[in-house]
Amino acid sequence: MSSSTTPSLQVCRDCGGGAPVDAHFCPQCEKILSLGRHGDYFAFMGLPHRLNLDAAGLEQRFRALSRQFHPDFFYNATTAERRASLERSSYLNDAYRMLKDPVTRLQYILQIEGLAPQGPSEASRQVPPALLEEVFALNEELDEVRDARAAGAAAEVWRARLERARMPIEAKRVEHEAQLQALAARWDALADRPNDDPDRRAVLTALADRFLERNYIHNLLAGIERELQA
Amino acid sequence: MSTVVGIDLGTTNSLVAYVKDGVPVVIRDKSGDGLVPSVVSFDERGTTYVGREAQRRLLTDAQRTVYSVKRFMGKGRDDVREETSHFPFRIGGEGGVLRIGVGDKEFTPPEISAFVLRELKHRAEAFFAEQGEFDNEVNRAVITVPAYFNDAQRTATRDAGRIAGLDVLRIINEPTAASLAYGLDKRHAGLIAVYDFGGGTFDISILRVEDGIFQVLSTNGDTHLGGDDIDNLLIDRVLADVPATSPEHTQEIRKGVIQAKIDLSERDETTLNGQPFTRAEFEALIAPIVERTLAPCRQALADAGLQSSAIDEVVLVGGSTRIPLVRRKVEELFGRPPHSDLNPDEVVALGAAVQADILITGNREMLLLDVTPLSLGIETMGGITSKIIMRNSTIPATGSEMFTTAVDSQTAVDIHVLQGERELVADNRSLARFKLRGIPPMPAGLPRVQVQFQIDANGILSVTASELRTEIEQTVEVKPSYGLTDEQVEQMLMDSFENAEADFAARLLIEARNEAENVIHATDKSLRAPDIDQIEKDELAAGEKKKIESVLAGLKMVLNSSDRETIQKWTQALNDTTRHLAEVMMNRSVKAALSGKNVNEM
Repeated sequence: MSSSTTPSLQVCRDCGGGAPVDAHFCPQCEKILSLGRHGDYFAFMGLPHRLNLDAAGLEQRFRALSRQFHPDFFYNATTAERRASLERSSYLNDAYRMLKDPVTRLQYILQIEGLAPQGPSEASRQVPPALLEEVFALNEELDEVRDARAAGAAAEVWRARLERARMPIEAKRVEHEAQLQALAARWDALADRPNDDPDRRAVLTALADRFLERNYIHNLLAGIERELQA
Repeated sequence: MSTVVGIDLGTTNSLVAYVKDGVPVVIRDKSGDGLVPSVVSFDERGTTYVGREAQRRLLTDAQRTVYSVKRFMGKGRDDVREETSHFPFRIGGEGGVLRIGVGDKEFTPPEISAFVLRELKHRAEAFFAEQGEFDNEVNRAVITVPAYFNDAQRTATRDAGRIAGLDVLRIINEPTAASLAYGLDKRHAGLIAVYDFGGGTFDISILRVEDGIFQVLSTNGDTHLGGDDIDNLLIDRVLADVPATSPEHTQEIRKGVIQAKIDLSERDETTLNGQPFTRAEFEALIAPIVERTLAPCRQALADAGLQSSAIDEVVLVGGSTRIPLVRRKVEELFGRPPHSDLNPDEVVALGAAVQADILITGNREMLLLDVTPLSLGIETMGGITSKIIMRNSTIPATGSEMFTTAVDSQTAVDIHVLQGERELVADNRSLARFKLRGIPPMPAGLPRVQVQFQIDANGILSVTASELRTEIEQTVEVKPSYGLTDEQVEQMLMDSFENAEADFAARLLIEARNEAENVIHATDKSLRAPDIDQIEKDELAAGEKKKIESVLAGLKMVLNSSDRETIQKWTQALNDTTRHLAEVMMNRSVKAALSGKNVNEM
């Protein structure tokens, strides 16, 4: 473990020199650095903490870094370098996978900002207050549909009811997408402010709430879909 | 530095290739044949035969001849119970690795595959020696596997390489290898679907190719679906009319069935067991099998987030893609005619050679970024699988999971690692069980043991663990569910050295036989020449032709014995006896050429 007091530095295990935390290769000896102290996925890929990332840019960055780290190019290197290449490639692949999809990207930002939900099961069990009314109505409708189906109602009849029940939830989803988009744009403008900036904090909290609601809405829609398939 | 070769270790045939001056080439035998049938046979005297020779022995000694062993790699006895009736050899082994019984010996699938790999290694070494390479030893290779192979199957393939004395630098996926070979001569860019339908396995991979990076977006398949299944359908059809009288008879039928299948790729009608058999009948019979390849294609497209219309090019790999129905179905699905400019039997080996070249030269122009085909998970409460690394994640990839203890002062935790997409543990593939040991004694629930799963660029898993409060590294003892331990692999490698002498003798025997066959063939041809009677009257000594005929008959008699020296003696004798005849015939054809006449006109 490095005992460096500057958190933004990592130490090259090969030459012992210091390197910026987001460097991949030692500035002194040019060897690939083992993955000791490192930044988050954004910093690792040299990207800003934004929710609206240019997909082509992300892709290009991933390819360029793959060309630098991949174990294929370290076959004749030392064991330490091969290990470092495996670690950096793995971390890069994990980073790319997380940041590629806008939903997991938001989840990741919430996580590194300390606002991630406690666990997926817990989060989805609790009904977000903003959705209470819809969830209540939907559950009632679903119960009635199940009863009707059990009583032998024609498939078209209960299917039509399910389709109708889906409409308000779907509308809610669209509304939420728009809210998330607006908040994402707000976040991107405020992201570089200090962590304790009240506006930045407010946007994050709002994003966290909308994110939970979004997941809840998706679960509701999936539930309706399952009933339709039944 | 010795050359690193690329090997396609196939269900039906295997090949070896290397890169010469930037171009991958398949290494062939003297007759120009690049394929080594993946067949291994053992005679009662303990001699091992590999390739064509072993394939011939299927018709004379089926129960001592092993084929399609790739279907058994990384499997347990119970995995293959329903199909064992199709094979002439015994399949046993209770709990853990399956074993193949031949006579009084038993082999694991990696050991059988190692015989094929050793044959390829020898072929390459003989070739390099002939090329006058300074260092002709071949001890490093890239070996291909079906993209949908799980960890156990990949590890078994790597073990086979090690048993054959090869350092396996990389395991790469067959469809991806094929795309590398295709990407060489043309500047392919865009979205490519590789449809690989071989002897025993089916794979579909969707790739994005851009400035030399071959990035796999998704892959899917069935490691138990291939030409073998088509053959079995046809065999069952024949057997319904004529029951088999012996294992050799079944193999005779199998040979005929394969020929009929091949015929119907070229013609509309052939015969199957003496009966007329049309392509339409054939297609009706195999349609369900071809249909089974389409669901994985749709799943792969969905996982890549693509419509089939987004695919720019479709590439066909594997012998079974020669079947017209397969081509039609693929074209229908993707809405465009598939490519098959490169020989579908050779393209995978060529790609493996390209990858081998990338590894040794460090050439960064091309890079393969592959994915793990199946999700990796661990068993949690109630027999449920909790996923840690999702399928289609680019490899290398990592995942981690936190464990704790259930009782006070507990120092070990059992962990069960699985691969597959299903919810229940029982429905997924068990990869390994291991015990985390050396957890510092603490009250229950307090230790925080982080287990790190690493899938490397070969798609093979390794596991490390540490307790976070104390930073104590845990030892991880992995017991592969269907694999060999390192010690077993070492032992097999040692055994193979001991057997090397016997193998060498077998090789010499085969060479002697080939030599004898050549001389027999040439002599037969001379004796059937249209002017042989004239020659005998004009130029041969009395009784000379009779003598040739009797030596020829003698050589034919000893040809199939295992006595190399006798075969060589008779070959020499036939060579000597025919020397004069050969000279005479040569002179006559020279004279004929000089007088402007064709030999046959004389």
